[in-house]
Amino acid sequence: MKYLPFVFKHLRRNWVRTTSTVVAMAVCIFLLCTLRSVLSEVDSMLEASSATRLVTRHSVSLTFNLPVAYESRIESVPGVKAVAKTIWFGGSLPAKKEGQADETEGDSTTDWSKFFNNMAVDADKFFPMYPELTIPPDQWKAFRETRQGCVIGSKLAKKFGWKVGDRFFLESFIPPYRKRSGPFEFEVSGIYDADLAKYPGTDVSTMYFHYEYLKEGVGREIGVGTYALEIANGDQAASVGKAIDALFENSSATTITETEQAFKASFIAMAGNLAFLLNGIGLAVAFTILLVTANTMSMAVRERRTEIGVLKTLGFSSAHVMGFVVGEALLLGVLGGALGVFGSETLLYGLSHAPGITEILAGMGLSGLELKPAVAALGLFIAVALGLFAGFVPALSAYRAKITDILRTV
Amino acid sequence: MSTMVSVQEVTKVYKRGSEELKVLDSLSLDVPEGEFVALMGPSGSGKTTLLNLIAGIDQPTSGAVVVGGRNIAVLSEGELAKWRSHSVGFIFQFYNLIPVLSAVENVELPLLLTKLSKKERRERALTALKVVGLADRSSHYPRQLSGGQEQRVAIARAIVTDPQVLVADEPTGDLDAKSAEEILKLMETLNQEFKKTIVMVTHDPRAADRAHVQRHLEKGVLQLR
Ligand SMILES: Nc1ncnc2c1ncn2[C@@H]1O[C@H](COP(=O)(O)OP(=O)(O)OP(=O)(O)O)[C@@H](O)[C@H]1O
Ligand SMILES: [Mg+2]
Repeated sequence: MKYLPFVFKHLRRNWVRTTSTVVAMAVCIFLLCTLRSVLSEVDSMLEASSATRLVTRHSVSLTFNLPVAYESRIESVPGVKAVAKTIWFGGSLPAKKEGQADETEGDSTTDWSKFFNNMAVDADKFFPMYPELTIPPDQWKAFRETRQGCVIGSKLAKKFGWKVGDRFFLESFIPPYRKRSGPFEFEVSGIYDADLAKYPGTDVSTMYFHYEYLKEGVGREIGVGTYALEIANGDQAASVGKAIDALFENSSATTITETEQAFKASFIAMAGNLAFLLNGIGLAVAFTILLVTANTMSMAVRERRTEIGVLKTLGFSSAHVMGFVVGEALLLGVLGGALGVFGSETLLYGLSHAPGITEILAGMGLSGLELKPAVAALGLFIAVALGLFAGFVPALSAYRAKITDILRTV
Repeated sequence: MSTMVSVQEVTKVYKRGSEELKVLDSLSLDVPEGEFVALMGPSGSGKTTLLNLIAGIDQPTSGAVVVGGRNIAVLSEGELAKWRSHSVGFIFQFYNLIPVLSAVENVELPLLLTKLSKKERRERALTALKVVGLADRSSHYPRQLSGGQEQRVAIARAIVTDPQVLVADEPTGDLDAKSAEEILKLMETLNQEFKKTIVMVTHDPRAADRAHVQRHLEKGVLQLR
């Protein structure tokens, strides 16, 4: 196409304007694409949160335990499929190696930088509720058969370099979970993992061990921190939860039962609002930039009325002239759009692949953050349409104008 | 000598709302091939209007404009554009070069409408620049050139397609005496050596003296002298 260099000439000679127009367009498309992607991710997260897992805890505080006897009573509530005892152990690696009992009771030698989540659970009941946690069958078998056995999340294993068969000691900072003879000793029986693509936000840095081991170790009844339960139908979460709480209404330990997602859900609602707000502001900004950009492009065309008149005089047809001017605006649109889409893709890819940030996002349930082809296409389409529009309107007036009228006004 | 331009009983009326302004009134003018005509007359007498009709960038209300044996008064807009691209060269008072294009690119512009290859186009454009004496300025941009040089580039652009007719609307109107003199000399050369038929509108009596024939326009009517 021999006219193409002609189009480029204008863009090259007015490179400051060209650059700023393209950048403005790119920023706008970038904003649009990124915001659309975030919002759609939040949307899908909201849709996906069905709650079939509930947690029953003491109504006063998490630091109060519930009676062990509640287990069978909760099991009897219609709609409840399974119940598992859990205790948040609060153990940490003792600063002192190979845990000899400390001479001074309660001496806090906890090294908090090595702290991780660890829970005593009723493994046979607990793990079936969490199909997203995968453990090799032989390791699972070993865990069940080992009194001191524990399973650790893949990330935790990585952090401490633990392998199956490794042993370590944990001591809880909660006095009732301590034993006189010193820290609890554990053996890594298995390492669990989760398909984070399928189950975004799944925690793979907790250690689970046997409830019975803890109970035997401290040598007395320790109660239950929280009951994890699974219900048959996610839609009944509220009613089942109410039924359970009603059961213990008049007992000494009243309960609160809420969905495992409850906290998450409230966070999501907040995130949803935030996304909506961001989207609103972002769209307003993007729209403003669009208008300014369109105006700049239109002005660039209007400035060239004389040139259009000259081209027509030289024998270029109106269609030719129209092609030059619209082609130029279109090119700006395509460049800006492509740049914006590329920027958005880069950012979203970077966020979802950068170590550290990925985990934070996953923690918020945003692990599937990506630029969807439809969104990218929409961004490009808007940029191109805008370029076309911004170039077309003023070009049309030049197209229609008579040469004599254009050149008269010189 | 055959007639190159023949304006026959041409009337041009501009409508401004309900008001009608008759700029040219049954005007007839013949320009023989190879002639160099100067059109003079007071401002508003219709010189530019007549020139535009001859150059095919405007059409008469009635009458015929025959250029090179073809009545261009009956052509459609598209046909006219095509006709202009190879039949007339334009020289404007304000040069009207395209600022983002270099001298040689400006000259090459009309050739984009031909089937010539890129190389041929460039060669022809350089030849035209050589004719106007600006071969050494081919890569300069308009704003790097003086007014006289700009006008010479414009002349190169006008002759690059080798049209039979050149029209010029006050080509020296914006130039100092020395530059004007150069432009007029160049136009004389084009007329005498390259056998171009030239119709030039001018206010400048010295410019008019260069032409073979002077015609005076007064209120849309040619004066006999
Ligand atoms: N497109 C137009 N619409 C309306 N009136 C026009 C138009 N073009 C020219 N006129 C009028 O026609 C008359 C002649 O204009 P023209 O430009 O031909 O004069 P001119 O002889 O070239 O004058 P000058 O020496 O000042 O250039 C003027 O009164 C002008 O106002
Ligand atoms: Mg005039």
